[in-house]
Amino acid sequence: MRPLASLFKGWFLIRRDLSSSRRLFLTAVSFVLPLALWCLVSYVDWIWHPDIKLQLSSEREGNSTVFTAGDHISPGYYQEMVVATRAENTRLLASTPPPKSSKRANQKLLRQLAPVAISHDWLPYTEAQNDASIYHLWRDIATGTKIPTDPALTPENLDIVKQNWAQLAPLAADFSLASLPETPLLKLIPQGLPANPVYLPAPHEVWRSGWRDFKAVPPEGELSMTQRYQHSLRVILLGFFWACVVGVPIGILCGVFDFFSKLFEPFVDFFRYMPAPTFSTLLVAVLLAGDAPKIALVFIGTVFQMILVVSKTTRLLDPSLLEAAQTLGASPKQMLTRVVIPGILPNLYNDLRILLGWAWTWLVIAELIGVKSGLTEFIETQGRFRNFDRVFPVIILIGVTGFVTDQILSWLHGIIFPWTGRGNPIAQTFFRILFWPFRQISKLSDRAGTPT
Amino acid sequence: MAAALQLPSYLEQSPEVASRFERLRQRPVALEVSGLTKTFETTRGTVTALSEVSFSVHKREFMCVIGPSGCGKSTLARVLAGLEAPTSGDVRVYGQPVSGPGPDRGMVFQSYTLFPWQTVKQNVMFGPLMAGGSRNSAEAEARQWIELVGLTKFENAYPQQLSGGMKQRVAIARALANQPRVLFMDEPFGALDAQTRCQMQSHLLDIWKNVDITIVFITHDLDEAVFLSDRILVLDPHPGRVREMIEVPVPRPRHNDQLFEPSFMAVRKHIDNLIHPPGQEHHKENPVLRLVARDPDVV
Ligand SMILES: Nc1ncnc2c1ncn2[C@@H]1O[C@H](COP(=O)(O)OP(=O)(O)OP(=O)(O)O)[C@@H](O)[C@H]1O
Ligand SMILES: [Mg+2]
Repeated sequence: MRPLASLFKGWFLIRRDLSSSRRLFLTAVSFVLPLALWCLVSYVDWIWHPDIKLQLSSEREGNSTVFTAGDHISPGYYQEMVVATRAENTRLLASTPPPKSSKRANQKLLRQLAPVAISHDWLPYTEAQNDASIYHLWRDIATGTKIPTDPALTPENLDIVKQNWAQLAPLAADFSLASLPETPLLKLIPQGLPANPVYLPAPHEVWRSGWRDFKAVPPEGELSMTQRYQHSLRVILLGFFWACVVGVPIGILCGVFDFFSKLFEPFVDFFRYMPAPTFSTLLVAVLLAGDAPKIALVFIGTVFQMILVVSKTTRLLDPSLLEAAQTLGASPKQMLTRVVIPGILPNLYNDLRILLGWAWTWLVIAELIGVKSGLTEFIETQGRFRNFDRVFPVIILIGVTGFVTDQILSWLHGIIFPWTGRGNPIAQTFFRILFWPFRQISKLSDRAGTPT
Repeated sequence: MAAALQLPSYLEQSPEVASRFERLRQRPVALEVSGLTKTFETTRGTVTALSEVSFSVHKREFMCVIGPSGCGKSTLARVLAGLEAPTSGDVRVYGQPVSGPGPDRGMVFQSYTLFPWQTVKQNVMFGPLMAGGSRNSAEAEARQWIELVGLTKFENAYPQQLSGGMKQRVAIARALANQPRVLFMDEPFGALDAQTRCQMQSHLLDIWKNVDITIVFITHDLDEAVFLSDRILVLDPHPGRVREMIEVPVPRPRHNDQLFEPSFMAVRKHIDNLIHPPGQEHHKENPVLRLVARDPDVV
């Protein structure tokens, strides 16, 4: 019992660090938990699933709306459609002589099987209207040469396929519009599964769409996902870079000299309350289309916060260090370069890390102004078509990019600033090896400078 | 109690001590403070931290400043170092008026104030580099000072990795590497434990012996003041003014056994009386709160 009891002890200690294995465990859980929740909601039918997601295309007499596979409808309406389609088929079988129908209507009816073919990769998804192949598919399913599994046809629908093929087979072995029968074929009964609303696709659907989108070779004139990603990264990094070039020096000056603090900070404080997106039309008017207004928006969104944050960090530097430097004979310029800047670097680095996270917010807005671009354009377009399974991978990609960048930067912190005591021994060794040649060179040049 | 009554007067000096003081007085004046007043404007009115403080310190003398908390000791050190401007009066170092911080006056703070991003060696090299020395000469110099304070093994450690005593030794080495003419130390050992403090005191005397330096040492510890100094400046609180300048009659070189010599005890007792006047100590006859019944064995 002892070891088991100790497993549950000591998880909640006020302001105490947990052991590294426990920390690792919790870090894993913090990601697994939401994922598990998502899976649970997606795959356990009775938890939510308020919709029916159609597996076959379906249509009804007297109703002009055609539902295609993948559409979501309410369970009530689904039942209604099933009953109505069955009634239609019964009426058709009962009526003598059989009613007339157009060959076109039968051609359309045959295409009801297309989604089944596509999901089994029997047809590429661009070939949903390849009637010749679809015609053969009816034959193959009717004769049992091909057995659909995902989705599998209900026995009822399998029966309908066989009955229809019995009618078609004597007329022609291959598809031709002319040889289709004059009498209507039987309609496939709508088939669907309970599903969550369209805005919450299941994990595997998101994975599948994401995989397809990222691997897809785009049509002429359109950008591939990788190109969009690179474009987004370029905009955010350039915007952030210029914000640093302007914001960091001004921030430091404001933190060091009351003169600059009083000169800049009141206006900066005022300006940062004006939301950056409100300048978007202005930016497009001034900088025209292209990336310039987007970079400028990320810049405006970031730089004013940066000035204030950096000046605050600079002011937090222990003033007694400056006094010590003064008593050691440092001139004002030396105090700035030898004390203030190295002294604030570790905190400055963390500030910039956090600000880079904010810059992503501005990026999303920036990509919507002027000519839409990058990942956001994709999200926008697909979102409008309600293809949320294609939207989520991109959102997750942005999240992962931000998270991974931040983790790497935080890991580097301990290496770049070993005196902060958060150094990672493995990483430090790695960098020591990496910088070994430079150290040797600097040692040699030092020795060369020695007169003896 | 009887022993205390038999103590000699603190003014009594053996012939050797007296002649040493005579020789000290012949030396040039290293630090001269005259009519120094320092007031602070605060929201609750004007606070006078120092009022008309005058004294002088001779070359290579070791002087301590002692006084109760809040009497303006730190303020005095900061004014002497040039970190604060005096309200009136003036401070001269070897005749030169002080107008701001400068490398001729070193300062060691209670809070170490080492640069955390620099190793021990880089910290000690700071002063020589600021003075425009080359990296190599600064490094060679730093090595010597680090050796003097006995931290050669730690020259590549960061301050964060050192104990309090070691940090303060680095701070001393850093101040000395600048070769100041006067060194001000504001309660440098205040944060150390008794054992370390004792070691650091002997160590400081050793350094003082071997380096051409005049030290003004601020403390609130009586034993420390008597053990270290040639003369002790006692300050009065509110406002801080000079109460007395005492010549310590304990002969040099000093060592820890002297703590119980009559001359040592006499000066110590005298200063104790100055700082904590007798008759002010037992004013708590009727405590408002008594948590346990009187215990005859615990008194
Ligand atoms: N910057 C300041 N602004 C206002 N008042 C100050 C300032 N610095 C010091 N004082 C006041 O001057 C007086 C002396 O302060 P100081 O720090 O010199 O005392 P101290 O003798 O060093 O005390 P301690 O032994 O506790 O360090 C105090 O009353 C303090 O309130
Ligand atoms: Mg003080």
